[in-house]
Amino acid sequence: MTKTPQHIIIIGGGPAGLEAASCLGEVGYKVTLLEKEEQTGGKLRLWYKLFPGFRPSGEVREYLANGHKMNQPEIVTKAEVIRVDPETDHHQVVLADGQTLKADAVLIATGFQVFNAEKKEEYGYKIYDNVITSVDLEAQFKSGNPVKTVAGATPQRIAFIHCVGSRDKKVGNIYCSRVCCITGVKQAIEMKEHLPKAEIFNFYMDMRMFGQNFEELYIEAQQKWGITFIRGRVSEIAENMDGSLQLKAEDTLSGRPMKMNFDLVVLLVGMVPATGTEALGKSAGLAFSSGNFLASNDTHFNQNETHTPGIFVTGTCREPLSVAETLTDARAATVRIISWLREKEMKSNN
Amino acid sequence: MGKLYDRLNQDIRFIEGLNGCMNCGVCTAICPAAEFYHYDPRVICDTVQSKDEKLIEALLRSETIWYCGECMSCKTRCPRNNTPGFVIMALRKLSQELGYFTDSEKGRQQFAIKRAIGENILRTGYCVHPDIVSPQMHPEQGPVWDWISRNTPEIMEKMGSNYKQEGIGGLRTIDPEVLEEINQIFEVTGCKTMFDTIEKYSKEKADELGIEISDEGIGNEYFMTVFTDNDGTHNI
Amino acid sequence: MVLEGKKRVWEDYQKEIADDHYFYVRSCIRQTFFPGSETTFLRIMRNDLGKDVFEDARHTTCTGIGYHTDIVPLDTTMTVIARHFALMTEAGYTKIIPSCVTSFGLYTEVLETWKQFPETEAKIREYLWKATKREFTIPENLVHTSDIIYKFRNQIKEKSKVSLINKKTGLPLQVVEHIGCHYAKMFPTSGVGGAEFPSVLSGMIESWGGSVIDYPERRHCCGFGFRQYLVMANRGYSVSNSKKKFESMQPYQPDFIVANCPGCSMFLDRWQYTIAELEGITYDKNGMGIPVLTYEEMAGLVMGYSPWELGLQMHQVSVEPLLDKLGIEYKKEEKYLGAHGQNLGEPQKPQFLIV
Repeated sequence: MTKTPQHIIIIGGGPAGLEAASCLGEVGYKVTLLEKEEQTGGKLRLWYKLFPGFRPSGEVREYLANGHKMNQPEIVTKAEVIRVDPETDHHQVVLADGQTLKADAVLIATGFQVFNAEKKEEYGYKIYDNVITSVDLEAQFKSGNPVKTVAGATPQRIAFIHCVGSRDKKVGNIYCSRVCCITGVKQAIEMKEHLPKAEIFNFYMDMRMFGQNFEELYIEAQQKWGITFIRGRVSEIAENMDGSLQLKAEDTLSGRPMKMNFDLVVLLVGMVPATGTEALGKSAGLAFSSGNFLASNDTHFNQNETHTPGIFVTGTCREPLSVAETLTDARAATVRIISWLREKEMKSNN
Repeated sequence: MGKLYDRLNQDIRFIEGLNGCMNCGVCTAICPAAEFYHYDPRVICDTVQSKDEKLIEALLRSETIWYCGECMSCKTRCPRNNTPGFVIMALRKLSQELGYFTDSEKGRQQFAIKRAIGENILRTGYCVHPDIVSPQMHPEQGPVWDWISRNTPEIMEKMGSNYKQEGIGGLRTIDPEVLEEINQIFEVTGCKTMFDTIEKYSKEKADELGIEISDEGIGNEYFMTVFTDNDGTHNI
Repeated sequence: MVLEGKKRVWEDYQKEIADDHYFYVRSCIRQTFFPGSETTFLRIMRNDLGKDVFEDARHTTCTGIGYHTDIVPLDTTMTVIARHFALMTEAGYTKIIPSCVTSFGLYTEVLETWKQFPETEAKIREYLWKATKREFTIPENLVHTSDIIYKFRNQIKEKSKVSLINKKTGLPLQVVEHIGCHYAKMFPTSGVGGAEFPSVLSGMIESWGGSVIDYPERRHCCGFGFRQYLVMANRGYSVSNSKKKFESMQPYQPDFIVANCPGCSMFLDRWQYTIAELEGITYDKNGMGIPVLTYEEMAGLVMGYSPWELGLQMHQVSVEPLLDKLGIEYKKEEKYLGAHGQNLGEPQKPQFLIV
């Protein structure tokens, strides 16, 4: 190790950035983490309980906070990065306030933002009162207040709509956002716990139960909680006179179009790359993959390296991932960065 | 991939209309024909994309492909940017070209449409014109239409039309020179061939069923048969 | 319902609508069933708004109904439409405005097809030349005639004599607006406001004092279905679609229905008669049905033109209850007279529907 430790700048203070910061700090690198919001934590701050085991999101936030307490990366909030200028020796990281920082390696962990459900006009989000998103529902659960319709009534029948903003050429997102299906199962169960008498229907195209205990949760949703799963993508939501919603879908398993009324409709919204990712990626000379996420060098060998040497990507800025997968990915990025920095150091010593 | 699929793939509407259906069902959810007929646009797209020659032939001979009302509500919603309505149009075209349309009760109706609308276009330059909307064939038009039919020139005059006159205006007589241009267009672009094809297979069918069919016009038994026959099995 | 959300959607779909110098092509269905509407459109455009609207006697049907009944091949329809572009070019115009919504949808579809498949455009040029020796340029602007009335709705309001208000109650009339499927469902960006919340008619209604009803089956097709209506054996489909809409709108008690597609206006009018005679049901409280207007008739009433000049006597569902609400005076005895005051008799009364 040279006297001055090599410097890594991490852009983004969500779970990916925080975990990578912690791991890199632990082995002695100088780490600066730049977060554009006032607080770190990313989208984790919005979640109530995490699938599949209903772990309170606070537990993960605490774990991350402890990590960086111990290993002391420098965390700077309200620091928005607008550009990365790659250079051979030290990359220049340019902030919105005009500052420029230099780094041996840059790790982009800018994460995702939620698909804007207003774009799916036929679902009437922000037009019809009782249409909300899964993100709205998490906030509702976190608040501890009872779930009610806008008119103040207890909803008797609730629909969860899968694939909102995903697998959809009409809104420009051809890819699957991965975690919405399991979120739909989780929230359906949480809703049923909250309102045991309510009838709950999930409208899906495929049930993407890819992770450990996901399928088990799906079975539990059906057997224990009596949630009905209908295989049919929702085509249209319209509003009835009483504020309830008329929903049209095809029950594709029976081959019949159907129309049902619901008191509340929850749209399971997908992921899109966070605002600013495109500009940032372009400035750094990065390539983009499906959905305009940041592209890796290789699907199997180099998920965290990009085409620009010394610029790495981790977390949901590169593809939709669950929180658990994000943490794993951040640790993987750490290993690659360490390896790369050691090589760089050896070269400069020779 | 069979010959039928190849032929469909030459139709630009088919190329536009079917690119990987994932069976989500939003088209069927919103389709008016699926509400009232034994019809499912999703199933049709799924069948056609299998490229199975036998299944496609069965479709071309079936009642199924004639239920669509071409409203295009499916096009608005499909997340794969497909259009079942366009696929239907390609299937209908092929069904007529191959003569399969006379196998089905609804398909046979193409003859009536060709005689009523098709010939009217060539004869007058209009698709629809008061002269061909007779109260007898259109009782749903109500007594007001009966009154309009009996007083068409006077009513059209009051409405500011130029009924059956030369020059500009509503329901004007379209100049024979213009009709000749339209005839030429129909000839050059293959519509006359399509009309002849519809006639040919319809005549074969009429002869097979022993029903009287004339050379032109709507005053023949085969026309009335295909225009009115409904065996009552078409809806769910 | 949150109006701001709808307004945001409308803002996303603003299309360019030309200002003046239009090449007008008529609608077969409108000429047949609502001839007064086309006359009124031209009257408002030329006399009231001072616009140049040119009509060439040599234009014909676009063959849309033939195309959508699958007897006329796509190439034929494209060439007939190309011929209209040629007439437009020859007359020195670059903006074309079809009166029919099926035409508008078809013209849009043709232009989009040519954009994506330029070899198709080349082929059609050849066909047109071979058949007619005509050549054309692509129109700079293609809009439906209702888009134009929408564009000038505020000028119309300034000149208007009547508001869409119930004179007795002082409240805005409750209006069901129906958009023809082929206006925006195929190419949402070709419709003002897009496909889900089109604003071409609601813009007019609200500008002229009315209030728009959003009911669950608002976007549902009226059921024309082309072959599903033209062939008698299929008409069950057509009437069932309209019935679905009527049942959905009934609780909102609409004062009238307005449509921008001529076919839709006709079906929403006639199917109320048919359902009344077949089942003894009407969707208003007085057994007379809900009056249906074309957008030109609505504009004409607002401009103060006489109902019988507009052609409202050609409707089956009586419009008098609406005229009374609007405070428009009319002479019953003049309803069925000819242009020179001739007595033309009058339609028989239906058995169940009160006229």
